[in-house]
Amino acid sequence: MEKRRKSKGDNLVLRYLVLGSWALFCLVPILWFLSIGFRPRTEIITPEPIYWPTFSLDAWRLLLADWPIFDYLRNSVVAVAGSVVIDLILGIPAAYSLTRYEYRGRDDIGFYILSTRMMAPAIVAIPIFFLFRNMGLLDSVWALMLIYAAVNLSIVVWIIRSYMLDIPKELEDAARTDGAGDLRILWEVIIPACLPGIITASVIAAIFAINEFLFTLLIASTKSAYTMSVALANFTGGSDGVIYNAIALVSFLAFLPILVLIVLIQKHLSRGLTMGAVKG
Amino acid sequence: MAVLDQTGGVARAAPDRARPREKALRRRSPALRRAFPYLLVAPAVIYLLGITLYPGAYAIYQSFYLVRFTEWIPVGFDNYVELWSDSEFWQALLNTLIIGGIALTLECVIAMALAFFAYRDALIRGWRIVFLMPMLFMPSAVAFIWKLAFNDGRVISDLLRKIGLIDGNLDFLGNVWLARSTLIVADVWQWTPFLFIIFVAALQSQDQEVEEAARLDGASWPAIFWNVSLPMIRPVIAVAVVLRGIDITTMFTNVFILTKGTPGGTTETISYFIYRQGFQTFNFGYASAAAVVMLVVTILAAQLVVKRAFRSGKA
Amino acid sequence: MARIELRNVVKRYGSFTGVRRMDLDIADEEFLVLLGPSGCGKTTTMRMIAGLEEPSEGEVVIGGEVVNEVDARDRDVAMVFQGYALYPNMSIYENIRFPLRMRGIGKADQDALIRRAAEMVELGDFLDRKPGALSGGQRQRAALARAVVRQPQVFLMDEPLSNLDAKLRSSMRVQIKHLQRQLRITTVYVTHDQIEAMTLADRIVIMEKGVIRQIGTPDEIYSDPADTFVAGFIGAPPMNLVEGRAENGRFTAPGLVAVCPPDISGRITLGVRPEDCRVVTDGPAELAGAVYGVEPTGETTYLTLRTGETLFEVKAARDARFDLGAPVKIGFDPERIYFFDTETGVRLRAQPQRSAA
Repeated sequence: MEKRRKSKGDNLVLRYLVLGSWALFCLVPILWFLSIGFRPRTEIITPEPIYWPTFSLDAWRLLLADWPIFDYLRNSVVAVAGSVVIDLILGIPAAYSLTRYEYRGRDDIGFYILSTRMMAPAIVAIPIFFLFRNMGLLDSVWALMLIYAAVNLSIVVWIIRSYMLDIPKELEDAARTDGAGDLRILWEVIIPACLPGIITASVIAAIFAINEFLFTLLIASTKSAYTMSVALANFTGGSDGVIYNAIALVSFLAFLPILVLIVLIQKHLSRGLTMGAVKG
Repeated sequence: MAVLDQTGGVARAAPDRARPREKALRRRSPALRRAFPYLLVAPAVIYLLGITLYPGAYAIYQSFYLVRFTEWIPVGFDNYVELWSDSEFWQALLNTLIIGGIALTLECVIAMALAFFAYRDALIRGWRIVFLMPMLFMPSAVAFIWKLAFNDGRVISDLLRKIGLIDGNLDFLGNVWLARSTLIVADVWQWTPFLFIIFVAALQSQDQEVEEAARLDGASWPAIFWNVSLPMIRPVIAVAVVLRGIDITTMFTNVFILTKGTPGGTTETISYFIYRQGFQTFNFGYASAAAVVMLVVTILAAQLVVKRAFRSGKA
Repeated sequence: MARIELRNVVKRYGSFTGVRRMDLDIADEEFLVLLGPSGCGKTTTMRMIAGLEEPSEGEVVIGGEVVNEVDARDRDVAMVFQGYALYPNMSIYENIRFPLRMRGIGKADQDALIRRAAEMVELGDFLDRKPGALSGGQRQRAALARAVVRQPQVFLMDEPLSNLDAKLRSSMRVQIKHLQRQLRITTVYVTHDQIEAMTLADRIVIMEKGVIRQIGTPDEIYSDPADTFVAGFIGAPPMNLVEGRAENGRFTAPGLVAVCPPDISGRITLGVRPEDCRVVTDGPAELAGAVYGVEPTGETTYLTLRTGETLFEVKAARDARFDLGAPVKIGFDPERIYFFDTETGVRLRAQPQRSAA
């Protein structure tokens, strides 16, 4: 992104008013929710909302005592990381095939892969449920890993494809005349050259996997396989109702790493989110 | 720039000649050469077929049965007939369209307005993260934020009351449109940044000189935006809106956490309908029938809308 | 032995023919230049020699062996690309090392070869840097070093100098020629710049729209062009071509009268180079016209004059000055006038005189 020259004649007041209001609208609920995480439970659901709560680490104690929060974390990490690895192993060769080779059916295959991104989880939720149940994989982190990989594969392929298209063809021709075979070219030339794309794809796939809810809800039916996304929905203490301060804390626990990842790839964000269609 | 080598005329001596394995000129079988790209892409395709073809076939198959626990009773097209006359099903479709449509429109308009103000400003760059933040929370977390604000914690009611707009409490679960608004607000809050970031990136990558020319021609910034900048990024808008639109029609998490379909099924989206039929009333066959309908609609939408949007926006 | 032969080679892309039936013999150690405008098929031809494209018909022979079925990686050719194509993630050292690794050269020998190649192009101090940290000219030399390091049978160069600025280009030209002479490797060089062709080549192959127009030494191409295309392509400023009629030993065109061989008649195009014309102040002249433009370059002055519809360019004396619109007369060097058939563009060579005129 080249530097934009400053444009004259703007209505600065209006601009900052509009942007400022929206920024406020974004921030306030976040900060408020953060404060929820540090309140005693008694001050969350009250007849009249409390705006100046007392500070309390209740939620932390609750989390660590009653819920295997680190198990959930571990499940999330394992399932997500594993799914990203699977996606890269399957996706990089696929992207390379779509980019550098010409063969009959290539565009159709590319479109097919793209279309799986469009598929609503609800459509295949029930069959997947039965499939995993019959395989005895219900409630396992492996099942989650496989699902996340399937859901994100098309995103990974298309993002990486977009970055591969940028690699000048000359580079491969040079490697070829230098004596390298196809696989070596892929490994030593192509992959290093599209590394930003691989990272972007991995980050976006990871975030989508962390966020995944429906499949996780169905497949991880007991606490042993919960991930953070779904665990939230089950922070109920029986008759106590929803335990918001715990939920708030866990939400921020998931938020922080995602924030870091996004900052890492922020230059590539637009390109990643649109799977390569928009080169910010 | 002289060349250094002292031995005028380098002899092509054998040790210097980096000659590899002698004359074993590899001739790759043409068959393998032709198959190679297919082999590269096959694992990914097969894997994806596992999540589309197999479940799709399974769902179609299951939709012709009545499923009672482990008993599968073939019922032919009964499920579909029942679906056709099921008001809840149609309600769910309607809800999805209404809620999704309103949310998508709002997101589009707001994102465009924000983009208009933001894209020419370098200052915004640092603040971009703030605008992105809602998108970085897990969707389930976002749902809980708004659940607390609207329903359980009654914060919104309280604020509205303090401003004087209402007296008493608003029951966001009791009124159709109030309940729908909670879903809409949650979605708009979280996903407007998605469109915003894409629009801004696209606008900033456009040739600045075209805008400057328009400025010299006497156009105001809003006019430039509307007549020059936006049309230039039309393919981008198409792609982004299509992507977001597709995701909105699959709205599930918000419904599950915020409203569970109340009041009276008026906030039940089609995804939730399928979920409820399958995992609450355990009518798996029936749910599969609904899923098949959704699948058909998805395929049609993919062919008609997506293919075109991506082709025009494609690099 | 690194003779290259192209026998009946044709390259088609769907319904478009990029290279028409081509026969070409390149001798061992020869520096051959493929010259022509963009789209003429020169790069395609070279890529077929490299193995990056497969001919639709015909045979590519390197060192006596038909290599159509042989993959690029096994052909023992080294290529220098227009964009240099250096591996961005590797240091220059690693870049140069790459072909050696691929060929299985032992680690012990690698270092010596790499350093020698780098010395040849004066990049010895830059081996640790990555391509991104080098200037255009340095990258060019790095690409050369990578090609040179393994002493291939054939060098292929695809417009390697076109991305450099003019000054760098001329010094690199000298270096490339010197390198090739030193290493004595058959070289095929593609360019659209006729100065590069003239200065580097042992022989030039001029191509247009997939067809070879002429093959010859630079001198032959310059002094004995085969048709109007070649005549007009070589030489800067280009040869003047004027259409007219020839009859009975006289060629006439608006403002122009010249002697021509008696056996040439009909619609004929006359060609004469600007440097073979001179301004005539008194005495016989072939061409009369009015001054249209004057371009002093310091080294010489180019005069453009207008006769009727045609603009004619003449190389005049360094300090010659003319007034715009003034009448001027031009005389041609009688040994350096060329005649072409207007219809086909083919050069008409005079039959040897059977008897002294």
